[in-house]
Amino acid sequence: MNSPPPPSRPPLRSVLLRSRKHTILGVDPQKLIKYFFGSNASVAIIVLVLIMVFLLREGIDFLPTYQRELQTYRRAGLEFCDIIDQPLQRNQALSSSLRQAVSASLETLSKPARDRRDAAFLLKRQVEDKTARPRDSLTQALEKTPPAPEQIEVMRHELKAASASAVAALSYPDFFSAAEREQLQREFAALTPEVTDLPPLLQALVAEFSTKDREARTKFAPLVQAQEEFEDATEPLQEVVDELKAKALETKEKAVEFEVLETNRVRLLEAAATEKDATEKASLTKEARESVSESVNLEERIKEITGRTAELREQVEKYAVVIEKAAAVLPQDAGTGAARTLVNEVREGIPAHAREMRAAAATLEGWRWDKPVSIFSVIGAFFFGTQWITNSSWQDFFGFVPLLTGSLVIAAIAILIATPVSVVAAIYTNQFASEREKEMIKPIIEFIQAIPSVVLGFIGISLVGNLIKDVSEWSWLQWVPGFPIQERLNMFNAGCLLAFMAVPTMFSLSEDALNNVPRAYIDASDALGATKLQTVFRVIVPAGISGILSAILLGLGRVVGETMVVLLVAGNRIAIPDFSAGPGVIFHPAHTLTGIIAQELGEVSRGSSHWQALFMVGIVLFAISLLVNWCARAVARRFEPHKA
Amino acid sequence: MNSTPTNDNPFAGDSSGIQQRETAARWGLRVGSYIVVLITVAIMLHIFVKGAPVVFRSQWPFVNTQFLTELPATLHVIEDQQGNHIETDVNGADAVKKKLGDHFRAEKTISYSGGGILGPIVGTALLVIVSVGVALFLGVACAIYLSEYAKHGKFLEMVRLAILNLAGVPSVVFGLFGLGAFVLTAPRFVGVPAERSVFAIPLGFTTISFEGWDTCVLSGGFTLAFVILPVIITASEQCLQAVPQGFRETSMALGATRWQTIRYSVLPFATPGILTSSILGIARAAGETAPIMFTAALAFKDKLPWQKDLPPLPADASIFAHWEQSVSRFLGIFTESVQALPYHIYTLAAKIPQNEYAERAQYGSVFVFLVLVASLAASSVLLRKRLRAKYRW
Repeated sequence: MNSPPPPSRPPLRSVLLRSRKHTILGVDPQKLIKYFFGSNASVAIIVLVLIMVFLLREGIDFLPTYQRELQTYRRAGLEFCDIIDQPLQRNQALSSSLRQAVSASLETLSKPARDRRDAAFLLKRQVEDKTARPRDSLTQALEKTPPAPEQIEVMRHELKAASASAVAALSYPDFFSAAEREQLQREFAALTPEVTDLPPLLQALVAEFSTKDREARTKFAPLVQAQEEFEDATEPLQEVVDELKAKALETKEKAVEFEVLETNRVRLLEAAATEKDATEKASLTKEARESVSESVNLEERIKEITGRTAELREQVEKYAVVIEKAAAVLPQDAGTGAARTLVNEVREGIPAHAREMRAAAATLEGWRWDKPVSIFSVIGAFFFGTQWITNSSWQDFFGFVPLLTGSLVIAAIAILIATPVSVVAAIYTNQFASEREKEMIKPIIEFIQAIPSVVLGFIGISLVGNLIKDVSEWSWLQWVPGFPIQERLNMFNAGCLLAFMAVPTMFSLSEDALNNVPRAYIDASDALGATKLQTVFRVIVPAGISGILSAILLGLGRVVGETMVVLLVAGNRIAIPDFSAGPGVIFHPAHTLTGIIAQELGEVSRGSSHWQALFMVGIVLFAISLLVNWCARAVARRFEPHKA
Repeated sequence: MNSTPTNDNPFAGDSSGIQQRETAARWGLRVGSYIVVLITVAIMLHIFVKGAPVVFRSQWPFVNTQFLTELPATLHVIEDQQGNHIETDVNGADAVKKKLGDHFRAEKTISYSGGGILGPIVGTALLVIVSVGVALFLGVACAIYLSEYAKHGKFLEMVRLAILNLAGVPSVVFGLFGLGAFVLTAPRFVGVPAERSVFAIPLGFTTISFEGWDTCVLSGGFTLAFVILPVIITASEQCLQAVPQGFRETSMALGATRWQTIRYSVLPFATPGILTSSILGIARAAGETAPIMFTAALAFKDKLPWQKDLPPLPADASIFAHWEQSVSRFLGIFTESVQALPYHIYTLAAKIPQNEYAERAQYGSVFVFLVLVASLAASSVLLRKRLRAKYRW
């Protein structure tokens, strides 16, 4: 096969000549050609290796950089402040719940009055919008010097006519009586730019609301008071924490500045050492000497912060006592059922919050500013960190978990949707469809592959998002968790589009798998008298299951690695989705591994910790894709029943 | 066993539960597969209905020439006293405002939504040319090795594994790779190496410095080439394998060397197939966004790649100087960053507030883009069908 069979014998002379002629540098040209193609074949391997090399080159420094940053974070005392500050954030959630409860309670009394006031103002604005043009011209004409009375008169007429037609087109809500409607009509029609006072009826409506509101506040006085107390309780503690935070931040900035100057100095000295020209050398050295800055005495500065530990603990204790008292006096009754639930939640949440605060205060004593940050804790901070915060004036955190959860939830949604659809389509086209149906279905599904992902992302923004939002507002679908949805762009939307993208891959590979089932299996099943359905589901699908599984896995790889759709459609909120919302969590926005790279890489400077963190994310993505591929191959091999 | 058939005709279908279940299951499967088809068609129709009015006109020349032949620009919408909206560009805006004088009421500006999409189309075309050129060269050579030379063994296993894995690498990772490799590290000839150069090899008259090509067509094209490389290799190998073994054996039996066999007996029959399959690669390269985001694409550029300002030549410049300038102008095309259609759509969809004017530009670009990509994909499929009918061995 490899050595060509000897040609028919040519004259001896030419044979001798040819063997010399066809040698290049002592190598057979055939061999050279072979090596040429062989080296091209190795391009795939080389590229794969190069991808690894370049990702690592840019990304591997992330760990030491991040370690240094976390070290500064600790040494400057930022970590110390965060020990108290982080659990204190919970206070905001609790007080916002309480505020909601209060406003819901107040609304039981004041809502009709408020609605009437708001509706009247809305109507007024509608009229004003519709008559904007004549009003503007009239205003201009009035301001003009000298005024042109006839012109103003004409314009007044115009405005009146426009107002009249606008007023006629208004539709009034039911809660205005006929008399009120008439009065409103009159007042609106008489609106002119000179009069800035509110018309009488509107004033009456405003007054009506404020009386009602006052009434409601007296009725729910204990609740309102408890809420105010709770909100005020945090103030003294927050003051101390803010003071410490400002100090820590100042230290950190000084430390960072010093570090920058120091590296600059080292670089200048290095340059001076290699420089040959004497004057150049002198100037470089001089510059280096000038850039020396005083180092920050971290120990001194941190003492100023840790010295106030006792005070801080005292404040925390005070705060805890106050909020516990507030929880005790929280009234049992609130205006509505929802408000009552919220109040109860807060009442149960406060003791836990107080405990948390006390525990945090207790750890303050054990905190050491000079405890080194180990590389393992840095790895942990990256892979298990729950915060991805960049460009922060306080401290940047590169925690991987919010992105990973976003990616995984979206991928799970996509696979859950795409698997049944594509497997069903594969079974149908492979086993049941007529030739003509096959010729229609297959190209159309394969055509999906050619749709660029950015186009699908655009469809997600312009079409699917609105569709899902509209559907979620249908009254008979309100039993679905998460409905009605808040955000058009969310994980479910992205999942649907990714499912659509994954269908062709999964469909084609599953169909191939079904095609590869040996004919004999089917014949045997038929011969035993099985119906078509039995043959398909008891023989063909089980025999092709390995191919179908690996198709699903490859689809998963495609979905996890897809960038543009999630970047455009997933909503890009960098936070761990709130799983306490139950299955409705899929309608929350999230950010993803791929999306974060595409979104942020363009805006960071090379070599910064942020840049390196993004390359680290790239490394993880690359590893995931290799892993998924490996699994798909393993599955395909593992379940292969009919291959020796 | 001893039950007697109730029906006289043994071939008549029985109307028992089994039969009904069979039919029901069949319909269930059918509905499942048609759902995908319907969704695809619905999306296509939606884009067509919204996008076609932007691109086509009801009067001669039936096509919105402005949209297809102008560069993207900022759209200015001016409202006059009567509530009419006048659409114009930056230069037009001042003239219109002067003309309206007192009657001028409001002005809105919408970035990227005015003008046309010639810039992105040209940029995408350049990127596709570079990437397909590189990928075809590497891919076909690799396929020839795999199909004609390779023997079973470690190397072959590794190559196949690498191709499989390469096909699964996420496109944004290719973007990172392109950024690290081509934008920041690739070698180039320079007089004085830049500070970021990884290392430099002095050659006397010039220096090879590994300092990267910056964001340009070349960087983007090479990155895209590796994205589509697995597609091209797989397709080319299939085409080579489809040439009957007998052709090779006959050629060998006549005393041809292996290269002669490949050159005269295999490639001529495989080339049409390779080229048509690589059209799919073109469609893929044109559609990718993430790999070119950091390597080639710009959100906005007011010049075509070849409209670069070069110093004017003196009047008595020699022919050689003219020639040199045209060459550098030509090469300059590839060292410029460009706009690209997919990135343009991303910018329109994500970076500017949504309104009716932006929507028009969005659907117009999406429509043109999809028509380009879809016609490439469709022509590939049709050509392959015809080829298959032609070469039936």
